[in-house]
Amino acid sequence: MPTSALQVARTGLEAQDSRMRVIANNLANVGTTGFKKDRANFATLAYQDARVAGQRSSGETAYATGLNLGTGVAVQSTSQIVTQGALNTTGNALDLALDGDGYFQVELPGGQLGYTRAGNFTRSGEGQLVTQQGYIVQPAITVPEGASSISVSPDGIVSAMVAGDTEPAELGQLQVASFANPGGLRAIGDNFLVETAASGAAQLGAGGELGRGNIRQGMLEASNVNIVEELVDMIECQRAYEINSKMVSSVDEMLRNANQTL
Amino acid sequence: MDRLIYTALSGMNASMERQRVIASNMANAQTVGFRAELIDQRPVTIDGETLNVRAMQRAEVRGATMTAGEMVRTGQELDLFIQGDAMMAVQAMDGSEAYTRRADLSISPTGALVNGEGRPVLGDAGPITVPLGARATIAPDGVVSVTDPAAPDQPPVEVGRIKLAGWQGSPISKGLDGLFRVEGGGILPADAEAQVITGALEQSNVKPTEVLVEMIDAQRLFDMRSKLIATARDCDQSGAQLMRLG
Repeated sequence: MPTSALQVARTGLEAQDSRMRVIANNLANVGTTGFKKDRANFATLAYQDARVAGQRSSGETAYATGLNLGTGVAVQSTSQIVTQGALNTTGNALDLALDGDGYFQVELPGGQLGYTRAGNFTRSGEGQLVTQQGYIVQPAITVPEGASSISVSPDGIVSAMVAGDTEPAELGQLQVASFANPGGLRAIGDNFLVETAASGAAQLGAGGELGRGNIRQGMLEASNVNIVEELVDMIECQRAYEINSKMVSSVDEMLRNANQTL
Repeated sequence: MDRLIYTALSGMNASMERQRVIASNMANAQTVGFRAELIDQRPVTIDGETLNVRAMQRAEVRGATMTAGEMVRTGQELDLFIQGDAMMAVQAMDGSEAYTRRADLSISPTGALVNGEGRPVLGDAGPITVPLGARATIAPDGVVSVTDPAAPDQPPVEVGRIKLAGWQGSPISKGLDGLFRVEGGGILPADAEAQVITGALEQSNVKPTEVLVEMIDAQRLFDMRSKLIATARDCDQSGAQLMRLG
């Protein structure tokens, strides 16, 4: 078919376009706390006009070679690259970072549980530990009014000096969620991820326990986007787009030539 | 009139087919572990008493170029680059054993070790599975071991060895799912010497400059063949004119 080379080249353009969008999103989130970059995975599209090698060509003979024409490429999936981001010291007692695997668990509006690596928490009007959006960290930790010197241990125990007491009081323990396949979590925006069938169910535990990361107080995890890497990917993607667009003009030229000469 | 136009037409069709294969290779220039398709064009002649000038063109995809793609570091623990000619055994959709160079592995929610296309990776004793929640690491010889985060002081437990097979000596060809199989059925023996590099992936073996040159080549050849048809028309016209004079 004369148009099919055009269609194949089109799939290439579309796939590169999607990949560029992934790269753009990574670059845009270079300053987002706890952001994990995505990688676009390509896969070949189905093969067509098939004749499988070894297929019978007659009663006694078989074809020695196959005839498979590829129909192009598609971005099959994006996978989250869950490498650790750099830890930046902020000095703020309620800024928490995870040094290792795991996620903080937060109750989203509507009761669904969300998971995040961004530990830039604050206190709500009622004294509860909440995210920037005001969503309550699960299990809920309430810091009483007038409490000072809040400290969070690596395994998540939150304690503070409550007015009138001489000893620090334990306010509760933060839990760290881990997943069988963290790459399968679905990003819903606002730094939140939700569990899916692919990620498996959340397993909660204390920080530093069973391979979970330690909680680091007074620090925030920076985005794991490496700008230089993304820029190189961007150029590579642009060039791949260019050669595919050259294919479109080449086939167009062929068809024009056929139209004019014939 | 001579059947020249049909010969030229078969050539134009073959050029178009070739352009399509080149387009598919070009589109897959960034597919992990992709092997570029090779197109073969050959004359098809009909034996007979007449002068043997009518060689029709026929184009077919005959196989794939097996040169290795570039290695890129990804830093992901479960990304593998297979060294040398070896291929990784995976389970195809129909349950049979097939081979691929695509080794961007991950662990599915059921614990199966799968590659980027979701095909389960085969070991010495069938598909390799990893206990849920365990951390898997892969040694250079393809041995997958897991450590239980609940018992960090325990030594890693071996759960299988990824089957890496050499294909030299056995004809293999790419099937419709993009996986390689032994021609006429059968499986390749495991290659004990084969090694992998972890934290790296193999790029597609399509070279952008090469594929661009091929593209221009296919285009020009198409143009020449269409010119042949135009020439045949001119000849025909002159012939017809000659008749009118007579």
